[in-house]
This record gives sequence, C-alpha cells and structure tokens, in this order.
Amino acid sequence: MNDAVLHAIRTRRVARALTDAPVGHDQLRAVLDSARYAPHAGNRRLHRYVVVTRPSLLRAVRMVSPGMLQHPMAAIVVCVDWAKVHGYGFSPVNPGPYIDVGTAAATLLLAAHSIGLAAGPVTSFSRTALATILNLPAEVEPELIICLGHAATGQPPGMRRQGQPGWDDLIQWERG
Amino acid sequence: MTSETEDDSVRVLDESDGVELLIYLVTAARTQVDEAAEYAPMRLLTAAGRLAEMAEPNASARLRPLLRDVRQAVSETAVQAGDPAGYVERLDALCRTVAEYLVRSLSLDTSP
Repeated sequence: MNDAVLHAIRTRRVARALTDAPVGHDQLRAVLDSARYAPHAGNRRLHRYVVVTRPSLLRAVRMVSPGMLQHPMAAIVVCVDWAKVHGYGFSPVNPGPYIDVGTAAATLLLAAHSIGLAAGPVTSFSRTALATILNLPAEVEPELIICLGHAATGQPPGMRRQGQPGWDDLIQWERG
Repeated sequence: MTSETEDDSVRVLDESDGVELLIYLVTAARTQVDEAAEYAPMRLLTAAGRLAEMAEPNASARLRPLLRDVRQAVSETAVQAGDPAGYVERLDALCRTVAEYLVRSLSLDTSP
C-alpha cells in the first residue's frame, strides 16, 4: 500500500515562523496549480487567487492581518467572487463558497508541504483593508491567506487544548 | 555608557514602525469583533511583542532586558482555554516584570 498521501497529511504542520529564504517561482506555480484539483462544488470556479511576492506588499498585508504571526516570503490570498456566486443563484446564506475556500486551503497547504515549503493559513485579517491594499474588484472578497516560505528552526507552540473532548468523542458512527 | 538622562530620551521607533503598529491595532479591533473572545488578550500580547521587537534595536541598555523578557514571555499562540489558571499566572508574571521595571526605572523604591 502506498501511504504517501497519508504520510503527507500526518506530517504537515502550520508554520508560524519562517526564514527569509525565498520561494521559487516554480514552487509558487506548483502550489497554485494544486488548487485546480481541489474539490469544489460543481467545479464552478467561484474563487480567485491573488499571489503576493513583493516585499512592500507582503509587509502591508501583514500589517492588516493580526493573525499573521509569520513573515511570509510569498502569500496566496484565496478570494470569493461573489458576483459569480450570485450569478449562479446561490442563497446568500449558502455556505458552499466558504466550504470551497477550505478545500482549496487544505489542498494548497498539502501541496506546499509536498514540495518542501512551509505554509500556514491566516483568517484573522481585515477584509476591507486587505481588499483595498490588493485593489480587488468590489465583488471579490478575500477570505483566507496562505503564507509560504521555509520553516524557521524555532516555532511558536501550537494551540494546544487540554482535557475533553478527545478525538473519538467527536465521531459518531451511524445514528446517534 | 549612556547616562540615565540620555536613556530617557532615546527614540526607539521610527515612523514606519509606528505606522505598522497603529495599523495592526486598528485592524485587530475589527477582526476581534468576529473572533473568539479568548483571542483578545492574545492580540494585545502580540502587539506588545511586535512593539518590543521594533524597539529593541534602538532601546537603551536599561530597557533592552525588559523588551527581551516581554518577547520571551509572549506566546503568540497562547489562549486561556487550554489552561486558564496557568494562563492568568503567566500574564500576572509578565505584569509583575513590567511593574518591577517601573519601580527600578523611576527609582520608586528610593524616592520619598
């Protein structure tokens, strides 16, 4: 049995400290390309991906992103094109576009890991400020940032929680 | 050796650092509206950590150890849910550290 995928899933970690080693253009393309293969409802292409590599722009992105602990060498901003979403007749409360942000993010993170890059997702940022900085069209809203780079030796500790619930407590088999 | 008087007038931030921290604080206020309440102290501590990081290169010899203490004590991923009592203890320890710095730097222990 080939367990390379499971191994990648189990060894991926969120990188909260990155070095200043650059991310190669080909590496960036490879990570970006993976999102094409992420499971998206109806393959409707409702999302946009904004790539940021300019140091001044990265600094500005970090300034408006309180959750961005790392100093990324590149970032991919996953956005939702709400004009497209509405064009398909989705209800405003349909969570589908957000779910697909998550599947794209998981795929991007695994792709980065698979080619030796470190990555971390950030959702704590001002949508308004980031859209302004990136000059996004009004109907395109940023929802998640993937920070990319190379892992620093010392990482801040992960967010650990003690006690219950345990993992098995979260799983229901069949009817409850 | 820098004198105490000179220490007091050291400029530790440049304009771009100040702007960076200002923008962090404004946007953190907005993101906190949507985030879990337990993130609020973490965001403040992150701001303290960023301020300490910005100030350290230009800080006086007297201030630098405090900035290092703050940076080391601030865990940017710490939330109280995992260990509420320990979390409060660590915050109190940091508060004690900054207060002790004040006592020393303002000579509060020797002034009448």
